[in-house]
Amino acid sequence: MHIWDRFDEKISRVEQVLITILLTVMILMAFFQIVLRNFFDTGISWGDSLVRYLVVWVGFIGAAIATKEDKHINIDVVSRWLTGPQSNYIRLVSHFFSAVICSLLTLAALKFLRFEAQMGSTAFFKLPVWVPEIIIPVTFGLMTLRFTVRFIGEFARIRKNGFKQEFKEEK
Amino acid sequence: MTFLLIVIIAVALLLIGIPIFVVISGLTLYLFFSSQIDISAIIIEMHRMATTPVLVAIPLFTFAGYLLSESGAPKRLIRLSNALLGWLPGGLSVIALVTCAVFTALTGATGLTIIALGGILLPAMKRGRYSENFSLGLLTTSGTLGLLFPPSLPLIIYAIVAKVRIDHLFIAGILPGILLVVLLSAFSVYRSVRTDVPKTKFKFNEVGIAIKETLWELPLPVVVLGGIYSGYFAVSEAAAITAVYVLLAEVVIYRDIRLGQLPEIMKKSMVLVGGILIILGAAMGLTNYLIDAEIPMQLLDFFKTHIKNPILFLVVLNIFLLAIGCTMGIFSALVVVVPLFTPLAEAYGIDPIHLGIIFLANLEIGASIPPLGINLFIASMRFDKPVLQLYVASLPFIAILLLALAIITYLPWLSLALIG
Repeated sequence: MHIWDRFDEKISRVEQVLITILLTVMILMAFFQIVLRNFFDTGISWGDSLVRYLVVWVGFIGAAIATKEDKHINIDVVSRWLTGPQSNYIRLVSHFFSAVICSLLTLAALKFLRFEAQMGSTAFFKLPVWVPEIIIPVTFGLMTLRFTVRFIGEFARIRKNGFKQEFKEEK
Repeated sequence: MTFLLIVIIAVALLLIGIPIFVVISGLTLYLFFSSQIDISAIIIEMHRMATTPVLVAIPLFTFAGYLLSESGAPKRLIRLSNALLGWLPGGLSVIALVTCAVFTALTGATGLTIIALGGILLPAMKRGRYSENFSLGLLTTSGTLGLLFPPSLPLIIYAIVAKVRIDHLFIAGILPGILLVVLLSAFSVYRSVRTDVPKTKFKFNEVGIAIKETLWELPLPVVVLGGIYSGYFAVSEAAAITAVYVLLAEVVIYRDIRLGQLPEIMKKSMVLVGGILIILGAAMGLTNYLIDAEIPMQLLDFFKTHIKNPILFLVVLNIFLLAIGCTMGIFSALVVVVPLFTPLAEAYGIDPIHLGIIFLANLEIGASIPPLGINLFIASMRFDKPVLQLYVASLPFIAILLLALAIITYLPWLSLALIG
């Protein structure tokens, strides 16, 4: 677990740097295109395509960070009223289910990437489209890992608490 | 039968707090799998949605909104509205309503309004000798007020999901949005006069100072709205201009935000964007499956046999949407429910733009309705008050909002008047 935590810290830093750079480029590029279009009656032909892929990258990386920071949008009607052991079990189920679905999405994304590579179309700079699209399986894979680690952590906590309770009862 | 069971399981999973995108993706994966469609189709839909040209407006507006909320802009806004409206009986409550509305439009109805402004406005209202329940009710229901004003995120998302023109929806929201604020303000002034709340004197001097202070932020709504309204630039272009403008104003001119703070603000705003985009993407696959399976058509047949009258249809729609807004939350309701209902409304002769405003007004109000409206829980957390007290405190305000909702729903003119 310790090794994973340190590894995940490194990934988080990469995510932070990427988000900052990509969003900055997105803002500047989108603005630059407006200036070119309105004042010089021209534009960068690959600019709009680049901005669109930047949105994909920023969105998926944002979703991966949301997984780490537990900030995904959800409806926690039940958990608002439940505290203590029951909420631990609910979290256990939630993390498990999320990890399974994210692993299936990773698989689907890999398949999608293979189709795109076979089609052989290009994005900007004659770059094959699958290159910028690689972010989709990467982030889904990362989300799978993060949900799995949180599931294991929750499982360990429940076991520890369970022992404590038995210990108390013996006393 | 199995399908019904799966839907019940999905709803149960949603209610225990599993991320919405996970549940929707799971449901879609199951449906694709059982009808032998390759599962990569779900990623195709996500990718198609994520590369829609207009989508770039979401990260840009969200970043600008977060930047504004971290800067001194909210304080300057409160000072200016205080200088302009403080002399009114109940002026402070009107100020609270106006700032909450502007703030929500900029940050996108994500609970930020209560968290960011509540902390400033509640103590101010207490000092102004407003009763506790009045202040709490006002701030709780204001958590989503302003959702109808551009460039709020739900407006953009509705336009994308329902495939209507964003610029039209932006303009359509203005009058209904103003109606909500005006009715709530009138109620607040009436209550303040009755309880004899003290007021401040109007000073030209103070107005001058406040305007000078916020001189660089005041043109912003004009740039955004004026540009879109005149057709001078598209919504995604307005978003880019807003982001650059706010960056210049807050970082270079006011220096409220240091360069070193930017990465953290960027990350915070993009976590929200990622959370929304991934739900939108997941829902795209589900929607397309449902349309292929002709679910909206079956729904339409069902409605057509039971409800003949468009007015009755609107009543049913309102009740249904308030319940959805109260339980599901605004973003998930938008992506799941909108595609099912747009064909229905068309069959009853309701204008698609007007329908959008009805949808958003319902969801906005639903977010404050007991027992599950999200505003109540955010306010309970922020103000450290029991949820039950907030239920009681919000009731008068909800009554006013429902009155406004009726006007918005049954008077299409209000939404459509400004569209050329």
